[in-house]
Amino acid sequence: MKAFLKKEWMEWSRTGRMFLLLIIFILLGIMNPALAKLTPWLMEALSDSLADTGLQTTAVTVDAMTSWAQFYKNIPMGLLVFVLLCSGSFTGEYQQGTLVPVVAKGLSRRKILAAKSLFLLGAWTTLYLICFGITYGYNAYFWDNAIAKNLLFAGACNWLFGIWVLALLIFFSAAAKNSPQVMLGTGSVVMGACLLHMFPRFSSVLPVKLMEGLTLLQGAEEPEDFYAAMASAVAMAVLCITAASLSFDKKRL
Amino acid sequence: MDILTFSHVAKRFGEKQVLKDVSFAIPEHTVFGFVGQNGAGKTTAMKLILGLLSLDSGQIKVNGELVHYGKTPTNRFVGYLPDVPEFYSYMTPVEYLHFCGEIAGMPKKEISARSEELLCLVGLEKEKGRIKGFSRGMKQRLGIAQALFGRPRLLICDEPASALDPSGRRELLDILAAAGNQATVLFSTHILSDVEHICDQVSFLHQGRIVLQGSVEEVRKGKKAAGIELETERPEDARLLLSEFPFLKPLDGNSLLLEEAKRQWEIMRFAADKEIALLRFQQREMALEDLFLEVVEK
Repeated sequence: MKAFLKKEWMEWSRTGRMFLLLIIFILLGIMNPALAKLTPWLMEALSDSLADTGLQTTAVTVDAMTSWAQFYKNIPMGLLVFVLLCSGSFTGEYQQGTLVPVVAKGLSRRKILAAKSLFLLGAWTTLYLICFGITYGYNAYFWDNAIAKNLLFAGACNWLFGIWVLALLIFFSAAAKNSPQVMLGTGSVVMGACLLHMFPRFSSVLPVKLMEGLTLLQGAEEPEDFYAAMASAVAMAVLCITAASLSFDKKRL
Repeated sequence: MDILTFSHVAKRFGEKQVLKDVSFAIPEHTVFGFVGQNGAGKTTAMKLILGLLSLDSGQIKVNGELVHYGKTPTNRFVGYLPDVPEFYSYMTPVEYLHFCGEIAGMPKKEISARSEELLCLVGLEKEKGRIKGFSRGMKQRLGIAQALFGRPRLLICDEPASALDPSGRRELLDILAAAGNQATVLFSTHILSDVEHICDQVSFLHQGRIVLQGSVEEVRKGKKAAGIELETERPEDARLLLSEFPFLKPLDGNSLLLEEAKRQWEIMRFAADKEIALLRFQQREMALEDLFLEVVEK
């Protein structure tokens, strides 16, 4: 399995996928505080022209919360790019037939699936930490993170949402034939969950809730309100991975 | 001991029955040729051995262990060269072979030595670039190297010579013949001269069945002699012979085929009496190709 992890590393670094994702997540990390910092300046610069159209601008105060609000708005974008770039991680290999010699060497399919999944989850975790860390650092430098409550817990919730999405991605990768199918499958489940989330009945149990970290920071909600969603995300992720390994065992390579 | 056994194997894809009740066994240290037309079921049979496809009925054993679809510990005995081999394009050949060695759990030192040895063997030792730029023939060469890498007990090659230039094909046959000393080689082909060159055993697959099987010598001997070909100098002589001996079969030009060898003396006597100039009076050799055609046309 170590050999296959090494191969994944080589694939990510040499095909430029890693570089691209790194740049995007670093940029996202910088953008959050930068946008917050620039907001007052932008408003001021635009105030004259806005006044002409009848809009009144008042002085805005920005703090760490503004920047964190940006973070929670932007990170889904990062996740989306991540999913798009990784949707071919399995299917690309089916289509090219590159897994055939590997399986024919006696490497078990479970190990291949485990290595690929670990790599995906690890990459997401690392990239997320980088983005979170950069925003955290700038916020601490410019303002004060202390005004945000449950900062780490909220961050972990959002990360777990990513893990849930990736588990879906892994399941569809093991079941589908090509990357459009993977994107369609993952996308429709996430969209479906988002739609269901709008109904009050489901709003606290679906993993989609985990993206609402901002309410935690603002103190509008407490960590307990997220436990159900966390449990459902973990349960569904475990289910997805189990189903993926069963399906991958019988996959035509 | 038999390294590979097929017993009553059947496989269908939808409507198409690709293999029907195929049974055979390959003893150790043989070079086994698997011959058949395109679509005869050769690749399917090979993929079944590797557990890449599921069986409909029957069973396959590699080195005495049953092959299961999807879970394939039996593949540790096997080296496989696919018909169109594809490798990770971002790796160099050396890196790919190292990857193969690591999968097999070989020690580092051995991996390096083996990589170098095999790249020399297949003539890729000077290729430092990534696989991305490789031609199909070069991939085929790398495919042979990776198949041999773990010193498999059973080497399975699916039309290994198909993308190679003539000299490459010759080298490949030599490599396979040499591999036959240490391992059992199963290779598919539709080039019969290759089989005659290096195979000990041969099996003809036609429409999903094994229609003929045995050692190359046996298979050739088992068939009746192919007859005698004779050719006259003048066309009218050929016509004369044909009218006198209606059992002769006309071939192209002034050639005739005599299938019953016993009657050659009558014809010779007749030719001597009539002073017919014969260009050729020759025992026809039964090549595998004729055999194959005969079997296929049945």
